[in-house]
Amino acid sequence: MHDTDSPPSSDCGPSLLPISPHYAMKCNSLAQKAISARLQSASPTTLCPSSSPGEELSLVTHYTVELLRAAAFIELPTEIRATAAIFLRRFYVTNSIMTYPPTELLKTCLFFGCKAEGHYMRLAKFADKFPNTTGEEVLAAEYILSQGIRFAFDVRHPFRALEGAIMELRRLGDFENKRIDRAHGKAREILKFSPLVTDAYFHYTPSQIMLAALAMADEGLVERMLGEAFAAQGDAAKDKCRDLIQACRAMLEKEPPEKMNDNEERKAIIKPLNRKLRKCRDPDRVDLVALQKARREQAMIKKPKLPVKEDGAVFGGSIADGRESKRRKTETEE
Amino acid sequence: MAVSPLVDGLPNPAAKAVSSPLKNAASAQASSNGTPVPAVAPNATAAVQSAALDLSEQMNEDEKRKYIKGKKLGEGTYANVYLGQVRNDPSQLVAIKKIKINKEYTEGMSPDAVREIKHLQELDHPNIIKLHTVFSSKDQNLNLVLEFLPLGDLEILIKDTANVHYGVADTKAWMGMLTRAVWFCHENFVLHRDIKPNNLLIAADGEVKLADFGLARSFSDPYRPMTSNVITRWYRPPELLFGARHYSAAVDVWSVGLVFAELVMRAPYLAGNTELEQIELICKGVGTPTEENWPGVTKLPEYTIGNQITPVLGKDHYNALFGTVGNEGVDLLMKTLILDPRKRITARDMLKHPWWHKDPKPTRKKELPRKSGGEGGRK
Repeated sequence: MHDTDSPPSSDCGPSLLPISPHYAMKCNSLAQKAISARLQSASPTTLCPSSSPGEELSLVTHYTVELLRAAAFIELPTEIRATAAIFLRRFYVTNSIMTYPPTELLKTCLFFGCKAEGHYMRLAKFADKFPNTTGEEVLAAEYILSQGIRFAFDVRHPFRALEGAIMELRRLGDFENKRIDRAHGKAREILKFSPLVTDAYFHYTPSQIMLAALAMADEGLVERMLGEAFAAQGDAAKDKCRDLIQACRAMLEKEPPEKMNDNEERKAIIKPLNRKLRKCRDPDRVDLVALQKARREQAMIKKPKLPVKEDGAVFGGSIADGRESKRRKTETEE
Repeated sequence: MAVSPLVDGLPNPAAKAVSSPLKNAASAQASSNGTPVPAVAPNATAAVQSAALDLSEQMNEDEKRKYIKGKKLGEGTYANVYLGQVRNDPSQLVAIKKIKINKEYTEGMSPDAVREIKHLQELDHPNIIKLHTVFSSKDQNLNLVLEFLPLGDLEILIKDTANVHYGVADTKAWMGMLTRAVWFCHENFVLHRDIKPNNLLIAADGEVKLADFGLARSFSDPYRPMTSNVITRWYRPPELLFGARHYSAAVDVWSVGLVFAELVMRAPYLAGNTELEQIELICKGVGTPTEENWPGVTKLPEYTIGNQITPVLGKDHYNALFGTVGNEGVDLLMKTLILDPRKRITARDMLKHPWWHKDPKPTRKKELPRKSGGEGGRK
């Protein structure tokens, strides 16, 4: 996932996942080896064209855009769209797009994104919104996804930071409201797209991403905020911060929000890659429902059933029977 | 922040496991350039049985292999808990909480598990149970590797009046640890929403740890409603009983206040059998919520009070029941039980309260009373 020509590895924010070009290469080559071996074994005369790490990255970006478009179509709240997009990108840090089909994963990301943000949508209702999709298919990859993102379900977004910055700018009183409003709207549009389809979340903190987007919308406002924030410190600290924001901005500018609906250009690049992908993907992991079933069956064979014992004293607090029903209610209400 | 473990080497190169068919690879690549790809029959079982692991499966295996699962410690409706050991250092114990697959819940991973993992992954504090790692086992069950806390919980201590004796200094120590835990949650924008004595577990060294984040959530954005159906009834604040859909960290502070009262009385202070009775008990034991003491309360969706209006009870009332904790202690308790959540004390201000500095000093954790049956400590 890490774009080899993306610049920053400075002392910016902590990245959630240990990513490096080396890592993406390893993931890519691992998938290549396994899949070509499998394809060869099934049909020794097959040539296996495999996607390169760069091609995989283009595809991941493309499917992240697809995810955002689907999320907009089913009218999910902004935070959930963003969380789902980041889940997809994190997932493909340690998984190859040749192994798990992105068209399936993106639905699972959206459904699980809802769950992770505490926005419980009925599975059947969710599946109905997509053509030819069953609830079973959406759920089939849930474990694969949560394992792939190492159970890190909390994603911090820059949206709240932007609201704070706008309040701060109004408080300073140096700018016309019209100018602030315009920058607010534009920065919000950028945040809803650019950081989600680039590696910005892996390299920068939410506030740094927010300032980069605000700088794209209206640089003067960010300058004013930096002046205010670093008034008591030297220029060196301020310059360091500004450099970081500029580096992040350069990354965001590669994917401006206008690209969200610019299908033609993207499709032209993606079409040949997709064709290639269809030939080199893992044949055993295309049908995730079957995979899920096979996994469950495998587990059943190995494990004899344990006798059920009544024991109230449970670590983590006794869980009374009444509580289960209470929780069920919570899920539907929230 | 949760940091995923790095995979350093590839312990089991994928190609080796399925190497024999590769013999043909060289000739195949040379000859079949450009020919259409014949369909390969998908075989999910092959994927499962294959010894080749992809990167995230390897990471999962690595996490799983760090621990040895031992005997079952307990069983609940939502999870089973097992004792575990660290493979490289068997003297180190952990608790492995295995989330059960709920047959009735057909929507995938249980929201309780998602909430618990989401928040515990991010919170690292001496008074909050530590989540070491999460892994999934073969049958796709979730396993949470948690800190092992062998000395029961505060409820056990409170209830065992025959064997466990404790005083103000001990209460102060426990309250201090609880307040720091809640402060840390709130500082990180997390509402616990189920604070009660049996969710306050005790470590081998006497440290109290807040556990069970199955109902936790992040602070809501303005205008986004939350459910009011949270927090065990006896510890539920009036705003939730009145059905408020917008609320703050003050809900947890009310629960902390009632744990405080219970530690002193050694019985729940407001133990209602129904929600209506709970409201009644609050009216009698704290005061009736009205527009005077809580502007806006009558507009809450389920606002109901009995015919009798009890004015907010004064210090005399609390002194009679809780006087043993001293003047400052009573003051702190009263501030946690302020009806209007906007006026209720915050966890941060609780920590700044003068009570902590008054005599007696809080007991050192190693000297705190322990549950009977265990060795060491005071009884």
